[in-house]
Amino acid sequence: MKRNLLQTLVEDPKALSVRFQPIFRLSPEGNQVDAMEGLIRGPAGTNFERADVLFDYVRRKRAESAMDRSCIAAICKAVADLPPNARVNLNVHASTLGENADFVEFFRRQARSLALPLERFTLEIVEHAPNYNVPGLTCNLRALRDLGVRIALDDVGLGTSNYRMILDCHPDYFKVDAYFVEGISRDVDRRAVVRSVMCLAKEMNAEVVAEGAHSQADISMLSRMGVELFQAHLLCPPLLPQELCARGFLDVQTNAIPAGRDANAEGFKPIRRKLGGAAGEPVCQ
Amino acid sequence: MDAACESGCRVFKIKARPFRQRTCRNRAPLITIYGLQPRPVWHSTCRNAGMPHRILIIDDDDQLATAYQEYLSAQGHQVDCAQELEEAQALLTHFSYAVVITDLRLNKLGFGGLNVIKYIRELALKTRIIVFTGYGWPELRAEASAHGVDAFFRKPAQLAALAQTVSELAGVQA
Repeated sequence: MKRNLLQTLVEDPKALSVRFQPIFRLSPEGNQVDAMEGLIRGPAGTNFERADVLFDYVRRKRAESAMDRSCIAAICKAVADLPPNARVNLNVHASTLGENADFVEFFRRQARSLALPLERFTLEIVEHAPNYNVPGLTCNLRALRDLGVRIALDDVGLGTSNYRMILDCHPDYFKVDAYFVEGISRDVDRRAVVRSVMCLAKEMNAEVVAEGAHSQADISMLSRMGVELFQAHLLCPPLLPQELCARGFLDVQTNAIPAGRDANAEGFKPIRRKLGGAAGEPVCQ
Repeated sequence: MDAACESGCRVFKIKARPFRQRTCRNRAPLITIYGLQPRPVWHSTCRNAGMPHRILIIDDDDQLATAYQEYLSAQGHQVDCAQELEEAQALLTHFSYAVVITDLRLNKLGFGGLNVIKYIRELALKTRIIVFTGYGWPELRAEASAHGVDAFFRKPAQLAALAQTVSELAGVQA
């Protein structure tokens, strides 16, 4: 029988692998890992190894919902390799939340089967389609919040992550897209846009996460503007839990990196970090 | 100054000085093929010596696609394969291909290959297109031609002839 690509991706538990990228809180009081975003990669050696190709394909197949569930199942399993207190971000399409009344129950079952408290999770809402079911979305978001799950809006400023989505989701985190972050130290207009998002976030009692900073200058500028949360390859690329552990990001007593420093750079001196399980607990398996 | 490529290409105008300093990887002489108007062009394999061209093969016949992939890879190209229209569209969105080789009929459901060609043209990509026509319908072939297909092959194509055409198309830039 001919191989069905989509079926393989959605149903084969070994087809998807998980990487985690730390989100750092860089503040004068001390730098720390605030959360880990779970990121999915397709089967190694295939066209879908790259996440952008994988999810482009899935969206064209209109299989976001099935794929989101597979991704959540894969990431929940991988979370077992993280420290017990590490917060985890998961990506979910707005259409999945809008059209699946049983999504919350599915998520709750997944977490419960692995003894993961739902308070550890932040759902990042992504959407590429212009239309989604708003009543269904808000209903599911309310149920998730009641369970302790936090909500983030991904790619703020691009595509459908616009004012309407902000109102519909009322996120706890505004993840500003890299387009507005890259080069912000040299661009007064970008600074104006990010400042406006920060004002909006403050009014809505939310925090801003700057994604994709490419230089120390950009991070310094954003820090001066008041941004504390950063997610960027410059700080740490998406890695397997074992690799994060080897770099010291998952050790209980080891540390996050200083602002704007490459984790691989020579002379990197770890500083105090708050994330992790209780002292002495194994954090990597 | 006009000069002939070391590999024997005679239809190209190539500045002699920079060309002599590099090695041409394309050993096949260029011929005029269906749909290509003779014109002065650069032989980009000479200009970009050492850089493989990215080729996309779209065919739901696994074995045939793999055979083409292996043969073209051995010729020095970087070759991706896609089995479905959506997979091909995703790849075309994220990567830049010098040549796309597509079957007109994908998944035996319809003329998916024609949709690929239309998609490439909608994106205004400069990708060259080779089409496999296993069925030889003249209307379909005419429609594909209207969308700027560069060459047609009847399936199963001779590997050597296909590789030669791919090299020619990949090496030609207006």
